[in-house]
Amino acid sequence: MFFIALFGLITAKNAIKTIVFTLVMQTAVIMFWLFLSGRTGTIPPIIYDPALLYDMAAIADPTPQALMLTAIIIGISVTAIKITMLNYLFRRYNTADWELMHKLSAQEEAENPYS
Amino acid sequence: MLTYFVIIPVLIAVFLFVFATNKAARVLAILFQSVFVILSLYLLWETRSGEIVVVIGDYDGFMGILLRAYTTSAVFMVLCGIIFLAVAVYSFNQSDSRTFWFLLFILQSALVGLFLTRDLFNIFVLVEVATVIVTILLMYDKKRRNMLPGLIFLMLNIVAMLLYLFGIGYIYMLTGVFDILRAGELLAYAYPGDLVIPYALIMTGIAFKCSIIPIFSFLPKVKLYPKAPSAVAAILSGVQIKTMVYMFIRMQEMFGGFSSHSLFLAVGIAASLTGVIMAICQTDIKMILAYHTMSQVGLIIIGLSAGNEYSMLGGLYHIISHATFKSALFLSAGIIVHSYGTRDVYKIRGVLRRMPVVGLVTLFAVLGITGAPLFIGSISKYFIAATVPFWLNATVVIISLGTIISFIKYAGVLFGKDPGIEGIAVKPDIWRVVPSAALGAFCLVGGIFGGFLVNFLFAADAVIDTWGYIEKALIFFASMGAGLLIYKYIVYGNATLKRIGGLNLGFRSVCASMAAFFGLMVIFVGLF
Repeated sequence: MFFIALFGLITAKNAIKTIVFTLVMQTAVIMFWLFLSGRTGTIPPIIYDPALLYDMAAIADPTPQALMLTAIIIGISVTAIKITMLNYLFRRYNTADWELMHKLSAQEEAENPYS
Repeated sequence: MLTYFVIIPVLIAVFLFVFATNKAARVLAILFQSVFVILSLYLLWETRSGEIVVVIGDYDGFMGILLRAYTTSAVFMVLCGIIFLAVAVYSFNQSDSRTFWFLLFILQSALVGLFLTRDLFNIFVLVEVATVIVTILLMYDKKRRNMLPGLIFLMLNIVAMLLYLFGIGYIYMLTGVFDILRAGELLAYAYPGDLVIPYALIMTGIAFKCSIIPIFSFLPKVKLYPKAPSAVAAILSGVQIKTMVYMFIRMQEMFGGFSSHSLFLAVGIAASLTGVIMAICQTDIKMILAYHTMSQVGLIIIGLSAGNEYSMLGGLYHIISHATFKSALFLSAGIIVHSYGTRDVYKIRGVLRRMPVVGLVTLFAVLGITGAPLFIGSISKYFIAATVPFWLNATVVIISLGTIISFIKYAGVLFGKDPGIEGIAVKPDIWRVVPSAALGAFCLVGGIFGGFLVNFLFAADAVIDTWGYIEKALIFFASMGAGLLIYKYIVYGNATLKRIGGLNLGFRSVCASMAAFFGLMVIFVGLF
């Protein structure tokens, strides 16, 4: 999944698609982390069961899950910033295509160099 | 005590944003920055008698988050404080809003946290915070048309940090701890085959962030510099990249014997060579400086990966010297651009006559970066090349030659006749001259007392061999002559070079190159 997303990042022409692929990549990393914490047969660490309280092998490792919450929050906020910036660019150039955006910004640059 | 270094800047940021008026905010900001410098100097003094470790939360051992201050990190904190103080003074009259100070303090908190933390996941969080804030600082002025390179910069950095996050997942799977030192101890027992993928993932992320992968990692960043405010450019080039170099050192330490020094030696050489070649091709004064960041970071990586004590010291000292002269150059370039109204290196002439102090600062910093004897760059370059094999020594000399050529072009702005046309010809703002002048003066001081400073800061006892140093000085003058000739007959006004300098890569090609580098690393590390 991670490398599918990487492939997507390389090939996607549209900036919106690129943002979506970054999200896919992030989900892949989060899934990987959750896979680290939960082996088959373990229970989630929020279920309170006195019998299993001190049985480390039965409870899934809560640390990666806690960390992934942080990572998800970071991902959301960063995506918000990216979309805001893209929105600004879209209003300016009227396109979300990487190559067209590059071309238009290079034109602007050529019209008014060193300023 | 270490916790306060991270928390208090955040509190101050909020305080300034909510309570202070715009005018009061800038005075208070400078005051706090000065206090920060003094406190970090005190911390440096404390670490002399042993490292300080603080556990956040009441957990024993490696369950909590550990902060650790030792000599190197304390030195970097002092450096960070000094550059931020200079930037704060520089922006005194320039920034009329509290938002700037707010962002500046949050950024400082994140960078200090990066220098202190021992926790792998904290590094991820703090780097993301720093990236976002730097992006916002660069986007701050919408008129500057910085949005497209800014978006590419942000997205690529996010991808690089996702690679890093994936890598630390593997580390956690193998060791079960997030503490860098403890993970390092445990990884020594791991089966080497298991380490290939995490090493490649983490180092691709880090190498991308400190822009040592030749060209493609730096190209998106370099487009940002010309239009960025000089103060932000100074922070970006002076401190932010240094935090990633520091991460590079620690990651190499964490992987211990597994880490590949020869690969990064090659990468460093490639980075510095491409950096100087691209710098020679530029005609925009800020672009020249930006590409030199890449070449100097490459030189630092050469020093760190060469694998002997002296080169390591040289690499560490070069971090300090690069931060000093590059901030001095960026700050003075800001004044020059403001006064002349253009960034074309061929159009600006006669800075020494129009603004003597700024001209002198530029001259000192240029001498520093080219490694002129008695200036700060010469000491670190001497240490990097002191005990390395001949071919590496020759490479360093070639890199210096390239540096000299492009800075002959840069120093052209100092002399000649003042065009006086586009100039706004105002007297330069005293608040902007003073910090640049202080940093420029340090280029000379750090060179003259270089040997003493290296030993004092890094608690080492390295000796500068007088004859070796004189030999280096002779090489410098020889390459100065060669550089002048090459510049006059080949570089000046060459159209082909200008075309190379205009090279541009889009987001997709950069991503492809990152993936290629990752693949290369897996193959290289897996085989050797």
